[in-house]
Amino acid sequence: MSVEAAPAPAAQSPPRRRVKQFDRPRFLRVFTAVFYLFLFAPIVLVVLFSFNSTRSLQNFEGFSLRWYERFFESESLRDSLIASVEIALITMVVATILGTMLAYGLVRARTRWSGTANVLMLVPLVTPEIVAGASALLLFTQIGLQLSLTTIVLGHITFSISYVTVVVRGRLASLGPEVENAALDLGATRLQTFRLVTLPELWPAILAAGLLVFALSFDDFVMSFFTTGESPQPLPVRIWSAIRFGVTPTINAIGSFMLAVSMLAIGLALLLPRLLGRRESGLGVLIGREGA
Amino acid sequence: MSERRFAASFLLPGGLWLLLLFLVPLGILLAISFGTTDDLGNAIYGWYPENYSRVFDSIYLPVLARSVGFALATVVLCLLIGYPVAYYIAVFGGRWKHVLVALVVLPFFVNYLVRTYAWIAMLGDEGLVNGALDTEIRFLNTPYAVIGGLVYGYLAFMLLPIYAALDRMDPSLIEAGKDLYGSRWQTFRHVTLPHTFQGVLAGTVLVFLPAVGDFVSAQLLGGPDEYMVGNLIQQQFFAAEDWPFGAALTVVMMLFLLVWMIMYLRAAAREAAVA
Repeated sequence: MSVEAAPAPAAQSPPRRRVKQFDRPRFLRVFTAVFYLFLFAPIVLVVLFSFNSTRSLQNFEGFSLRWYERFFESESLRDSLIASVEIALITMVVATILGTMLAYGLVRARTRWSGTANVLMLVPLVTPEIVAGASALLLFTQIGLQLSLTTIVLGHITFSISYVTVVVRGRLASLGPEVENAALDLGATRLQTFRLVTLPELWPAILAAGLLVFALSFDDFVMSFFTTGESPQPLPVRIWSAIRFGVTPTINAIGSFMLAVSMLAIGLALLLPRLLGRRESGLGVLIGREGA
Repeated sequence: MSERRFAASFLLPGGLWLLLLFLVPLGILLAISFGTTDDLGNAIYGWYPENYSRVFDSIYLPVLARSVGFALATVVLCLLIGYPVAYYIAVFGGRWKHVLVALVVLPFFVNYLVRTYAWIAMLGDEGLVNGALDTEIRFLNTPYAVIGGLVYGYLAFMLLPIYAALDRMDPSLIEAGKDLYGSRWQTFRHVTLPHTFQGVLAGTVLVFLPAVGDFVSAQLLGGPDEYMVGNLIQQQFFAAEDWPFGAALTVVMMLFLLVWMIMYLRAAAREAAVA
């Protein structure tokens, strides 16, 4: 990869590649390498020390699972884990359905208000979470709804709908209405067309969006913090209280475990489109780059 | 039923949900911000604009200024770090491009609290860095630590839009710039930067908005001297139990951010119109 090594492969590789190798500023490469180092150092640290056999956060003194045992043996932490998963699952299902319907309506309805609605959709995405959290808390107390897992789910669905809509909308827009029109011409009802033509094309985007929402909800702290009841509280709220009482290695275990769950969801979101035999990558679906 | 009507009916459930659980709560927030508390500390409606004059009290004004300052510093640092890395990935990433982008997104899915906590473990007075260097440098409870935490937390929001803009750009434009005897810097300034300006703008807003409202970084990596408006709001809701004042603070912050939000939304609308 370095400049010195360039002449050797030059014989086989196309000239375009050689130019790029030659032009690659070395400082940029070092900068990028350092960037990734800083990006991952804290995460590697958390995962590594979650397996430490002692309380120390400075020296790794041998492999052990004691902090994971402590996590899973605590009944209240187990309840919190179950609560977090429940919240994320319900949020995923409801937000995905609502968000997908919204995307379909926005792209296909083409009313006078479509442009405005398309932009208003983005408002929940750019609203700071503390604003959404505080106003959700006010709503629930004003209508006399007891704070509980239900209020957390309501809050999570609210901020998740827009993510789904943005992801699915991108896919729908690149689809074009031609195939749907063909189905209608062939005598399918609108509902049949949606179910048999549109939906199958949208599945990769819908699944990716759903798994993204699962991960976002599972990790969410601010909205949960504002809308949570006494107990059980979701894991991030528990981590918050634990950190404020001091640093304990159990947090490393909880954090690593949560990382594994989120990775599973995101990994699936990235892989599923491929597994379903689609050409586009899941990443493209998620960051809305496909068809661009 | 016309096709439009059919499609429009799909808007109903989600639209209604956002109306009732996003817009109405914002209205309640606004109403409560003019309210007061009864003897039990419960929020009641009323007309007490002094909540707002309190926001600009000399006790709270420095906190507001600090929030904006910290958030701006975060934006600048994210830009200085994110742009070169996005450039490297987009131009020199080759077949590793997707992997490199995925690696940027990955830490974003480690819980924000846990990531911040990891910095405490590394930079604390008896943390890893001071242990390894055998020093007693005080990293935590400084403005630098709080800004660093914010940069670490929101960097992906800056990097991804810039990457997307660079990736869309035709690389032969850069080569053309150099063919025309532009130096590296001239090519960057006159060709690359203008082409990716939309990405920079989007990244700036996407980092600035959550950074201003953040309270985790200041609470965990800083101390009361570093508190931001998010910490004030959180205190009013959970410690002081002065919800009307907390609501007023939130409304003021939201109004300030509205300018930025509109700027971003207009750019998004323009992009949608082009697409």
